[in-house]
Amino acid sequence: MKIYLALTVASLKMYFRNKQALFWALFFPLLIMIIFGIMNFDGFNSPNVGVYDAADNDASRALVQALGKSGDQELLDISMGSVEEIHHELEFGGSRAAIEIPANYGIPGEFAEIKVTYDERFQQERAVVSTILGQMTDAVFKEVAQVPDEYRVENSIAITESYVTGQGQGFKAWLIPGIAAMAIMQTGLLTVVFTLVRFKSQGVLRRLKATPIGASHFLAGQLTTKAIVVVLQTYVLVIVGAIVLGVSVGQGRMGAWFDLTILALLGGALFIALGLAVSGWAKNEETAAPIANIITMPMMFLSGVFFPLSVMPDWLTKWSQYLPLTYLADGMRAITVEGASITTLGTELAGLGVWIIIAFVIATRMFRWE
Amino acid sequence: MNSTNDPVIVAKDIHKKYGDIVAVNGISFDVRRGEVFGMLGPNGAGKTTTVEILEGMRDADSGEAIISGVNVKDDPTTVKAMIGVQLQQNAFFDKLKLTEIVDLYAKLYLAKVDPVEILSRVGLDHRKNSQYAELSGGQKQRLSIAVALVNDPIVLFLDEPTTGLDPQARRQVWALVKAIQENGATIVLTTHYMEEAEELCDRIAVVEDGQIIALGTPDALIDQLLETGFKPEKRVREATLDDVFLNLTGRDLRE
Repeated sequence: MKIYLALTVASLKMYFRNKQALFWALFFPLLIMIIFGIMNFDGFNSPNVGVYDAADNDASRALVQALGKSGDQELLDISMGSVEEIHHELEFGGSRAAIEIPANYGIPGEFAEIKVTYDERFQQERAVVSTILGQMTDAVFKEVAQVPDEYRVENSIAITESYVTGQGQGFKAWLIPGIAAMAIMQTGLLTVVFTLVRFKSQGVLRRLKATPIGASHFLAGQLTTKAIVVVLQTYVLVIVGAIVLGVSVGQGRMGAWFDLTILALLGGALFIALGLAVSGWAKNEETAAPIANIITMPMMFLSGVFFPLSVMPDWLTKWSQYLPLTYLADGMRAITVEGASITTLGTELAGLGVWIIIAFVIATRMFRWE
Repeated sequence: MNSTNDPVIVAKDIHKKYGDIVAVNGISFDVRRGEVFGMLGPNGAGKTTTVEILEGMRDADSGEAIISGVNVKDDPTTVKAMIGVQLQQNAFFDKLKLTEIVDLYAKLYLAKVDPVEILSRVGLDHRKNSQYAELSGGQKQRLSIAVALVNDPIVLFLDEPTTGLDPQARRQVWALVKAIQENGATIVLTTHYMEEAEELCDRIAVVEDGQIIALGTPDALIDQLLETGFKPEKRVREATLDDVFLNLTGRDLRE
């Protein structure tokens, strides 16, 4: 225990005296967060709209398609979901409107009532969605029903509008947990790889092997250090990000910090294990760097760190939803943005758990001291 | 158990292969307590492999290595706790001060030491707040000897302690080795400098192709050679080029 403590203290000292590591762990993610936050990509995209299609017939599918695209022009960014899902998205800032298409839509002789709910804080988007919905409903009705003009759309379809006040804080609040998750990946994977591979190639690990403790104590000390760094880093990024970008964390729930700590440690364990696997396999820095980058770079862009997964094509998100960083970023986002408790994050915890097991199995198979 | 006359190191018919390459091919020797035992030989002769087997860093294919009555293969941890090791290639943590490095290694042996006192024994107390990367080659070697001393070892292994050092730094290391021996430690030293072996070692084993081809005191080995009728090609001069260099540049260390 005393030996383990001595090694942990020593490696903490080494870490915090390494200005470069601190830069990549703290200042670089903060910089990205602030730059993206100030640019505020909210206004650039077509509005996200959640649609629940209870009818699911030719007519309703034609309507959904028309809402998304007219000719070559992209209109609304549609994501399909259940009633609960689309309202949840709306409430927490994932979308700007929730549209419910009733089961009797498109059935001749029936009077169908389309319900649309807006976030009242986004009037500009409401106007866009409202206009497109009105026009497209009209156009599709005429085309599909193939009825003469005198059968007026008003007699068959009504659009009722309502409002909620969403709790979402927009792109800025959305961005912070994603960047914090990315920073956990960078610290866990990259700093473990670069410290261990350097110690290995310089012979530091070999020199430790000549002492009675063996190198496993050293490894335990290193991993404890990284776990401490990962948690501190998450706190700093979330707190500074929230202050600078002016958003609240976890809907004011204090338990959010505890939940974030747990997720940061799980994410840390996962990426540290991946780091061990890479540094076990690589003989020197030259072989370690490309492997580490091949693992981290795609995840930075495919795991919904900078942009929501919904802006990417479906064939890609089908796969990227299973990436370890996606689970971590989604979980941290649910906690900080929606104020969710960790007990409700079953999918994310299960996903992280499976990845942790995979990573540790690979790490124990791959790790070599020399 | 161990009387003072028992050898502190016993190497018995040690063999070691790396793939098809035979590194050590039946090496046996004893080292007495308080002795400085030198292993000489060209690069690749098997000196370092033999030393690493004694240190518990590698397992021999066959044969026995015993340190102070403990079989190294059976209980490497106990052996590692008793000995001090300077490897041929040493590296220590960057970003730590010298006192912190010495203190950390002392804790790994659960030993209580005053890091500054240990550093002053190798003449590095004036650099106690420096980091490893800032040291000169000779200072790095002396630090690695300091680290090898933290557990007050009964045997100290020095693998090529002066390779790559300038003559001043080399003499500094020699003085240090002599001082450590006077404190009662047993020392095993590998080198390919004959002058170093003659200066420091009580007995020498000459190693070639994984075998000991000659073993004895430096004087005895020279006498054996002369008995064969050997005549040096050049008359031995009163001084060497080393002496010329030291006379011109002074004996002070350049640090």
